Amino acid sequence: MRIIATRFGDITIDKSKIIRMKGGILGFEHLKSYVLFMQDKEIPFWWFQSLENGSIAFVVINSFVANPDYEPLIPDNESRLLEISSPEDVTLLSIITINSDPFRVTANMRAPIVVNAKKMLAKQVVLNEPDYPVQYFITDSKAIFENRECEIVEILPSLQAL
Amino acid sequence: MLILTRKLGETIRIGNEIKVTIVEVKGGQIRVGIDAPSDVVVHREEIYEMIREQNIVAAGYSDSSNQDKSLSYLWNRLRNPVKEKAE
Repeated sequence: MRIIATRFGDITIDKSKIIRMKGGILGFEHLKSYVLFMQDKEIPFWWFQSLENGSIAFVVINSFVANPDYEPLIPDNESRLLEISSPEDVTLLSIITINSDPFRVTANMRAPIVVNAKKMLAKQVVLNEPDYPVQYFITDSKAIFENRECEIVEILPSLQAL
Repeated sequence: MLILTRKLGETIRIGNEIKVTIVEVKGGQIRVGIDAPSDVVVHREEIYEMIREQNIVAAGYSDSSNQDKSLSYLWNRLRNPVKEKAE
């Protein structure tokens, strides 16, 4: 168990919920452990909260919810690094950027956080596929208002259940 | 940092499997050819810069000084879009 102070107050985290970064999030390479949680199960956005710096948390979305046609190719060396043995182990998260003026919400489809949910290892992987944008307007996708099928519940505790 | 001088057509090897060849030199631009195994990731530096900048902007949303910036605020705003003024 670890307790960290965040914008959500003090959170007690079970060790099994900690995601270790193999290579960090670009710009935040020094932060090596995170926890993923939902705040409200009706909302398709989740928090990817740093454990080393309580004030750093990313809003993320399941990449397949942001874009149901998403078919990224994870390079073999990245799969090896993350000890991925089966596609079912993988959850892809796109970091959400919110600009307030004008209000724009985009998801990073070019560099998803690839999570091996079985081993709880992750890395932000820059894809070799330039057609996937760094700024994908999620309002272009109707799916975020409908599709909830691909949520991976095991690694996704609610804030209270951490 | 290792700095090497190469002429047009000459090659640098990185490890056993990666070859970088100077293909063309024209004005201020140099074209390089890269031969690498398919599992070696090769990108222009700019894409990393773009992603890094995007991540930094994204992390700003969690700043606790902005009380209204919660997931429910975001979600409601997306579901009930307010017409933005045309630019």
